[in-house]
Amino acid sequence: MRCGFCGHEFEEHEGNVGCKNCPMSSGCKMVKCPRCNYENPPEPALIKGLKKVFSAKKKTN
Amino acid sequence: MSFFKKKGSCHEAATVAASGAKKVALVGNPNVGKSVLFNALTGAYVTVSNYPGTSVEVSRGSTAINGEEFEIIDTPGMYSILPITEEERVAREILLTERPHLVLHVLDARNLERMLPMTLQLIEAELPVVLVVNIMDEAARMGLEIDIPLLSKRLGIPVIGAATAKKIGVPEIRAAIAGSSSCAVPPFTYSRLMEGDIAEICQSLRGEYILSKKAIALLLLQDDAEVANLVRETEGVWFPGVQTVVREKRFERRESFHLDLSMERKAIVKGILDGAFKAPEKRVVTLAERFSRWTVRPATGIPLLLIVLYFGLYQFVGVFGAGTLVDFLEGKVFEEHFNPWIIEIVKLYVPWGMLQELLVGEYGIITLGFRYAVGIILPIVATFFLFFSVLEDSGYFPRLALLVDRVFKTMGLTGRAVIPMVLGFGCDTMATMVTRTLETVRERVIATVLLALAIPCSAQLGVIMSLLSQTPGALLTWGVCLLLIFLLVGLLAAKVVPGETPMFYMEIPPMRLPQFGNVLTKTYTRMQWYFMEILPLFILASVLLWLGKITHFFEKMIEAMTPVMASLGLPKESAVAFIFGFFRRDYGAAGLYDLQTKGLLNARQLTVAAVTLTLFIPCVAQFLIMKKERGWKVAIAIGLFVSGFAFGSGWLLNRFLLATQLL
Repeated sequence: MRCGFCGHEFEEHEGNVGCKNCPMSSGCKMVKCPRCNYENPPEPALIKGLKKVFSAKKKTN
Repeated sequence: MSFFKKKGSCHEAATVAASGAKKVALVGNPNVGKSVLFNALTGAYVTVSNYPGTSVEVSRGSTAINGEEFEIIDTPGMYSILPITEEERVAREILLTERPHLVLHVLDARNLERMLPMTLQLIEAELPVVLVVNIMDEAARMGLEIDIPLLSKRLGIPVIGAATAKKIGVPEIRAAIAGSSSCAVPPFTYSRLMEGDIAEICQSLRGEYILSKKAIALLLLQDDAEVANLVRETEGVWFPGVQTVVREKRFERRESFHLDLSMERKAIVKGILDGAFKAPEKRVVTLAERFSRWTVRPATGIPLLLIVLYFGLYQFVGVFGAGTLVDFLEGKVFEEHFNPWIIEIVKLYVPWGMLQELLVGEYGIITLGFRYAVGIILPIVATFFLFFSVLEDSGYFPRLALLVDRVFKTMGLTGRAVIPMVLGFGCDTMATMVTRTLETVRERVIATVLLALAIPCSAQLGVIMSLLSQTPGALLTWGVCLLLIFLLVGLLAAKVVPGETPMFYMEIPPMRLPQFGNVLTKTYTRMQWYFMEILPLFILASVLLWLGKITHFFEKMIEAMTPVMASLGLPKESAVAFIFGFFRRDYGAAGLYDLQTKGLLNARQLTVAAVTLTLFIPCVAQFLIMKKERGWKVAIAIGLFVSGFAFGSGWLLNRFLLATQLL
C-alpha cells in the first residue's frame, strides 16, 4: 500500500507492527506508515475480495 | 561509544552474525524501494523490532544464496552518513556496529544526481558498496537514459540497474551478495585545498577506525559530535593535537565548509554523470508540478490554504454536512419520525419506567446515544473524511508541512511536527503517539501540549463547524482565538524549554489528481472504523449518564459546575456538554449542538462554550496515551494545565465579548 501522507510504499504487515504500541489497536484497523507514522486506512476485505474475483476473471479470459 | 573502531581491512570486517550468516545492509534515502527489495530478498520470514534504546524500527530477514545464509537488514532511510534525525543515526550505527559484509546502496534512478553524493560518502568511507539504481522502469518512461556500465566504471564499484517492484534486477543483486565484497578505492578527489585540509587531519590521526581516515576527517570538519567523542577515546593523549588541527581548519573555512563540501561533491557527481545520464532536452513542467510549487510558497500557499479551508471545511463539512445533512437526519428522520415511533413502541412493550428511561429517556441509549452517533456525528464525519481523503490522495499534506515549517520553527518545532498536528485533526490520540517521531524530548512535549490544547479532532471539529457556521462572527472568533492560543502557547513553550531547533527534511511525493475509487474506499473504511468505535462508547456514555440521573449524581455534578459555568457566562445546562466531553471530545460537542438547537445559547455564549470545549481536557483515550508516551507526571501536568487554561481562556473571552459587544 502507499502512504497517504509521504507516498512511501510498504506492505500492510510492516505498517501493522507500528500499531501494536497503541492502546486502541484492537478496535482500530488503521495501518501506520513505517516511515512517517501516518495512519492509513487498509483496503476493506470486501473490496479486496472483489478485486481478487475480477483479477481471476481477467486471467481466465 | 564502541562503534567506528576499526579492525583491519573491510575484507576482515565482513561480519558473521551470531547465527553464522553474513550481514547485508540496505541503505539509502527513504522511498527508494529498499523495503520492496528487502521483501523480494527475504520473503515472509522477517522480524521487526525497535533498535535498542530508540523508537526506530529495524527489519531483519534472511536469505540463502548458493547454499549460503545471509542476514538482510533494512535500515531506516538516510540522506547522508552525517546524521541529523534519529532514524539516520540508527542507520549509521547499523552500518558501523554490525560491520556488514556488503552495503547495498539503493537509489532512485529518477533522482540520481541528488542521491549519488551519499554513494560518494560510502565509497570514501571504504565500505564494501554495491550500488542499486532502482525504479529504472519509471526512469525509462520519463525518457531518462542511464549507462550502467559507464557509471560502474567511473564509481569503481558494481552498479546494478533494477526495478525491484517488478523483480527486475533481483537475480543480479543476489549474485552480487553472494560474490566477494571489496572496498572501492575512491576514483575521485576533491579540490587541492580540501584534500590538503583532509590530509593534515588524517596525518594527525593515529588510531584505527572502521571508516577510512578520510571519512573521519570530513565528519570531524562537519562537527559530528559522535565522531569527535570516538576520536577522543581512540586517540587518548594525541586527541588535543587532532583537535587543534580540526579547529584551525574549521576556523579558516568558518561557515562555508558545509557548502564547499556539498558543492564539490555535486561537481564530482556531475562529472561522473556526464555522458552516463541523459535526460530529454525539453522537460515539460506539468500543471501538477506548477500547482505543487504554488502550494509551498507562502505568497500563493497561504491563499490556497484559505481556499481549501473555506470550500472544504466551511462549505462542504460545515454548511453541507453539518447543516443540510444533519438537519435532514437529526431533525427530520430522528426528531420527527424515528424517535416518536420508538418511544411509543418502548412505552407500549416495556412496562418498567426505569428501563424506558434507559432506552428512550432524556439520556436514553436510543434517543440520545444512537441519535448522536447516527444523526449528528455520522454525516459530519462522513463529509469530513471525504474531504480529508481527497486532500490526502492529492499529496497536499506534505506540502502543507513545508508551508508551515517556518511558523513552526518559531515555536521550537519543525515542519516535521506538522505530521502529528495534521493527524490530530483526524484523531488526537493517534497523533500524540506519533509525536515520538520528533527528534527531541523538548519537541515531543511542546507538540503533546499543543495537541491536547488547541487541536480539535475530526468529529469535534465537524460538530463545532456545524454549530458556528450559522453564525459567521462566532466562527471567526473561534478560529482567531484558537490560532492565537496555538501560537502563544507554542512561542511560550519555545522560550521556557531551551534547546536548538533541528533541521527538517522531507521527501515530497508527486501531486496527483485524487482517484475516485481510492477516495471512496478510504472514506468508507474510516467511517466504518469510526462508527464501530463510537457507537459502543456512545451507548456506554448514555448508560453512565442514565445511572447518574437516577442516582441524582449527575444533577449534583451539574450543580457543582454551575459556578464555573456562571463565571463563563453560560447557563448551568452547559455543564452537561462538559461532562459529556470527559467521555469523548465529539460527545461533548454534540451535547453543545443539542443545547443550541434547544435555543439555550446566544451567539456569545455559543462562542465561549465552543472555545472552552475545544481547549478543554483531552478525551480519556488521549489522556491514556499521553501517560504512556510522556509518563504520569507530564500527563497529569498537561491535563491540569489544559483544563485551567481552557476555563481561563473561556472566562477572558466572555469578559472581552461582554465589554466589546462584538457578539
